[in-house]
Amino acid sequence: MRTSNTLTALAVGATLFLGACATVPPGPPPDVVRLQNDLDRLHGDPRIANNAGPELANADAAVDVLARNARTLDSRGYAQGVYIADKLVGIAEATALARYAEQRGTELGVEREHLLAQSEARTTTIVTTTDAPPPVVRSDITPPPTVVRETVRDESGQLVPRQRAELEVMQQQMPGVESRLDARGLVVRLGDFMFEPGRAELTPTAEQSLDGVARVLVSDGDAGITVEAFGADGLASARADAVRDYLDARGVDGSRIASRRVDLREGLARNDRRVDIVIRGD
Amino acid sequence: MTTRYRFLILAALAVSGAAAAVDRDTAQLELTQAVTAVQTAERDDAARYAPADLDEAHSMLGSAQSAADARSWDDTALFAERAKVSGDLASARSRQHRAESATEEIERSVDSLRQQIGGAP
Repeated sequence: MRTSNTLTALAVGATLFLGACATVPPGPPPDVVRLQNDLDRLHGDPRIANNAGPELANADAAVDVLARNARTLDSRGYAQGVYIADKLVGIAEATALARYAEQRGTELGVEREHLLAQSEARTTTIVTTTDAPPPVVRSDITPPPTVVRETVRDESGQLVPRQRAELEVMQQQMPGVESRLDARGLVVRLGDFMFEPGRAELTPTAEQSLDGVARVLVSDGDAGITVEAFGADGLASARADAVRDYLDARGVDGSRIASRRVDLREGLARNDRRVDIVIRGD
Repeated sequence: MTTRYRFLILAALAVSGAAAAVDRDTAQLELTQAVTAVQTAERDDAARYAPADLDEAHSMLGSAQSAADARSWDDTALFAERAKVSGDLASARSRQHRAESATEEIERSVDSLRQQIGGAP
C-alpha cells in the first residue's frame, strides 16, 4: 500500500514536471547567458558605465537581438551572432576603459603640472645646455619682444599690447590644447604623457593637439616658433625633433621653427620631461 | 550601426523569413569595410598592443578574400563582417593599452614628485 502511494506520488510529480517543461519555454542558450553576464559586468563597472558610448549600446543591441532570436536562427546565423556580439562586448569594454584612462591621464597631467610648478618655484637654477647636440639650434632666434608699440582693448575692455592680443586670439583658436600666455609668448605645453613612455613618439592625443596648433600657425605665417624640450638626455632632443617634424608635415614651414633643449639640472624639476612650443607674435 | 553590423538586420530578417542570399555588391562592400577596419587597426599599432586580435582579423579577412575569389558571396560577407569587427576590437584594445601605459607613466611621475615635494625641507 505504501509502495503504491509512493508510485502514485512519483507519477503525479513526473506528470507535473513534464507539463511544466512543455509550457515553460527553454532558457537562453549558454552563449547568450555568458554574453548577458558580460554585459551586466560592464554596466556594473563605474569605469565602463560612466564612459560608455555608442559602443556599449551596440553591444547591448547585438546581445538583445541574439537573445530574442537565438531559437529561430539557423546554426550558421547563430554562430555568427555569437561571434559578432562577443567582439562588440570586447569593443565596448576596451573603448570605455581607454576613455577612462585618457581622462585620468588628463587629470594627472594637470596635477603634475601643478607639482612641477611647485618644484620650479623651489628651483632657482635653469641652465640651457649647449654641450649636447640639439636637433636644430638657429643663431637667428629672436628673443621675445619687450617693446610695446601699440595697445588694443581685449574683450573685457582692458588695454593690452597688440602682440599679446594677437596671441590671445591664437590661443582661442586652439580649443582643447593646453596653453598659456607668459613672458615668452603663447606657450603650448605637451606634457610627458603626450609621448609614448620613454620614447619620442607622439601619442594620438598629442597629434590631435598639434593638428590644432599647426592650423593656427599655417594661417599666421609671421609668428615665431621655438620648440623647447626639457630634459638632460637625448630623449629631449628627439622629442623636440618629433614635434618640429610633425608641425612641418602639417604645413608649418620648418625654417620657422627653432628648437632647443632645456636642462633643469637642479631640484625637483629634473623630472620635468615636457615640451613647450613657444609662439611669439612677431 | 546597422550598416556596420549587418548581423543585427539579418537576424531580424531570418526570424521573419525574409532573409535572402547576399549579392555580390553587398559582399564587396562588406569586404571593403573589413579591409579598412584591418588597415585602421594596423595604423593604431595593434600589431604591438593587440597582436592576437589583429591576427584574427587578418585570418578572417583572408577567408573573406578566398570566398570572394570563389564567388561565394554569403561566405564573403560572413567572414568580412568577422574581420571588420575583429579589426575594430584590435583598434579598441590598442587604444586602451596605449592610454593605460601613458597614464601609468604619468602616475609614477606624479607619485615621485609628491614624494620629493613631501620630503623636501
